[in-house]
Amino acid sequence: MTLRLGRHTFTDDATLMMAIVNRTPDSFYDQGATWAEDRALERVALVVAQGAEIVDIGGIKAAPGVEISAAEEMSRVVDFVARVRAAYPSLVISVDTWRASVAAAVCAVGADVINDAWGGADPELVDAAAEGGAAVICTHTGGVTPRTRPYRIEYDDVVAAAIADTVAYAERAVAAGVPRESVVIDPAHDFGKNTFHSLEITRRLDEMVDTGYPVLVSLSNKDFVGETLDLPVGERLVGTLAATAVCALAGARIYRVHEVVETRQVVDMVSSIAGRRPPRRAIRGLQ
Amino acid sequence: MTRVVLVPGVLALLPEYAGLEDPVAELRAACLDAVAWLGSGPVEILADPQGERVARALLSASGGFETGLRPSSTTYLVVGNGTACRTEKAPGHLDERAAAYDDALRAALTSSRHANWPDIELGKGLLASLDGIARLPEVVPEGTPAQVDYDDDPYGVQYWVLRWQA
Repeated sequence: MTLRLGRHTFTDDATLMMAIVNRTPDSFYDQGATWAEDRALERVALVVAQGAEIVDIGGIKAAPGVEISAAEEMSRVVDFVARVRAAYPSLVISVDTWRASVAAAVCAVGADVINDAWGGADPELVDAAAEGGAAVICTHTGGVTPRTRPYRIEYDDVVAAAIADTVAYAERAVAAGVPRESVVIDPAHDFGKNTFHSLEITRRLDEMVDTGYPVLVSLSNKDFVGETLDLPVGERLVGTLAATAVCALAGARIYRVHEVVETRQVVDMVSSIAGRRPPRRAIRGLQ
Repeated sequence: MTRVVLVPGVLALLPEYAGLEDPVAELRAACLDAVAWLGSGPVEILADPQGERVARALLSASGGFETGLRPSSTTYLVVGNGTACRTEKAPGHLDERAAAYDDALRAALTSSRHANWPDIELGKGLLASLDGIARLPEVVPEGTPAQVDYDDDPYGVQYWVLRWQA
């Protein structure tokens, strides 16, 4: 099925880099490095030059912290989305929000995708996306409240739960009027999950791919990598790329990342090993 | 009227070895032009087994088709090339004799002076592909000049795309 992300379409075999652009003063990885609007625009220019097809703009960090009102969230992202839209007409713009009001506002200024990292916490979000002509990322969080950490959450089968919840959310989005080719599912590593859960989701990602919905993975520098290797933020790239390779082999389509260049190389290499992508240029032994 | 085309047996011309970028785009274009010149009728292939695959792929891409040897054949697609030892990075590494061998073979091919052919065994030692080329005297009359469409060695292997009409 062709993947349609707002005004952009992609073929079945396309893999996409979604570069994280934080409009936050406190996100875990960059600690506010792109909090200033001009710095965030520089980040967009960089990731576009590196080949990212999508930017994912977020105005609220995922971890607990100071409450950010919808008005404050909009002030962080709406004008910024409009500036990016004007500067990069062919770039897919995703906005990381769980609020329907924010989704409606960013769709009005050119957002293509609503990345609902909190799995449908606001039931009207899919309506806003449908009305705004945007795609939706349906994530699995185990039903937790936005911006909370998992605490003693357990599943009979975490993969079955992730599939059941994301597919149910996807069907809800379709029922609300989001085109089926504009619905993406995301198991949401670390969200509502301990490290063992995130490892199992990675190991069994092919089961999510088998649903037929395109799968997004967000692995970049997360705690499940850090705990697995006992490494702090800033030293998790190799572990992130190892998890990326496993997800690529299983057939994930979209990769939400801090490091675009390294992830693109891993995904292309694995896609070629899997026989889904020809080598860039092959002449050795074939002259 | 007889029409004969020579193309090199480059496996990178086969669809099963296609990458995202074509490492032999210029050669491929020359091959397809020359094969199209043979027309859309039956074509007899003169080649070794790998060369036959290349010939069939080119014919398939240009709308022609292969036929077995028959007395009435007038259209031939020959697959072969010069040495593969022309540079340090060539498949057969650098052999100082390769350039002179290819020069002699080029002269014989383009003039169709069949008596002037360099030694076949030496050529095989230099990894030249000569099975199809060795049969050219059967189908190209002595002295028929060739049109040279392509003459280069981008990967240390000597390629020609040549046409004869008689």
